[in-house]
Amino acid sequence: MVFTLPVSAHHAASMFDRNESVDLVGKIVEFQWTNPHIWIQISVENKDGELEEWSIEGGVPNRLYRSGWRPNSFVPGQSVTVRGFPMRDGGRAALFVGAKLEDGSTLGRFE
Amino acid sequence: MIVGSLAYAQKIDDQLPGWGDLPDWAGPWQMTSNTVFDQATVDPPGGSSNTPGTREYPPYNDEWEAKYARNRELVRLGRFPDPITTCGIPAGFLRMLNLPGGIEFVARPEQVWILTEDGPNTMRIYTDGRNHPVDNDRWPTYAGWSVGHWEGDTLVVETIGLKGDGDTILDRTGIVLSEQAKVTTRIRRKSGDLMEARFTIEDPVALNELWHVVIEYRRLEPGTWMLEFACAENNRNPVDSLGRTLTLDTDGNVLDQL
Repeated sequence: MVFTLPVSAHHAASMFDRNESVDLVGKIVEFQWTNPHIWIQISVENKDGELEEWSIEGGVPNRLYRSGWRPNSFVPGQSVTVRGFPMRDGGRAALFVGAKLEDGSTLGRFE
Repeated sequence: MIVGSLAYAQKIDDQLPGWGDLPDWAGPWQMTSNTVFDQATVDPPGGSSNTPGTREYPPYNDEWEAKYARNRELVRLGRFPDPITTCGIPAGFLRMLNLPGGIEFVARPEQVWILTEDGPNTMRIYTDGRNHPVDNDRWPTYAGWSVGHWEGDTLVVETIGLKGDGDTILDRTGIVLSEQAKVTTRIRRKSGDLMEARFTIEDPVALNELWHVVIEYRRLEPGTWMLEFACAENNRNPVDSLGRTLTLDTDGNVLDQL
């Protein structure tokens, strides 16, 4: 499925494959509420049982703020499932689509 | 000299509109459309400038149509870097009125300022009766050189001296113009919550005929803050020498499997 996401103001997102999505289950390491993009750092267990850190790129703080996001929308240690468009080349990064928190609440698109 | 300056000032004062003559453009405002510059010709209809294959139909001559085709191919290959990915580079005019963030139109008697949240972009339009500088007194800039006048509640702006191909783009489909572009912009508050900018673009180098484009902006909720966009704060997407936009981890290591 192809989603149309809020457009980044800063760079083209051709490194991400919008025809695929990946669900990352893990814990928040850091939430960077910064320009030009927010970043969600998440620790995920790989198939060998080792922890890997993924970088999830999100939108611009200004427009996220207007849609209800805040600097504490994610906090370190929080358990979360993040859905994103993966990098085409297999790098450990993704473009944010949505997230589901432990209490069942969601951010972005997480049907 | 002093007498001359006083005479100029008196002339300017006689021409300026009063504060009460100016329209209420209090915003901020935001584009109603996505960042495809020419919504009237976008193919496919409703297409996104971030989706390879999307194009518009400026009235390009053959040479610049071929240039646009090359740019679109680079977009497809992920090697058409957006100039503003290098933080600090302004989007420039016309693109600064084709950005997704908040926009303010500030009307004063002697100038109108356009301020964009996605920046840095500031456009100053002189409405004090001055003319454009002659050729040797200006050079290509991101915002260009703009003079304007009021026709009722419509601001009519003429902009020249713009940076072009190689420095600025109009959108990420790969549209570019030359430094010879001249733009007439008619800005008005179309209704309570809608601003409109109608662009008439001449470019004797790139275009066969005039190019007409309209962009509308809706007013954001009263009380909306215009927020800071400090692009260099945490830019994890540098552009490499091949034009590829990279992705870095928190330590600055490249995540792309190059």
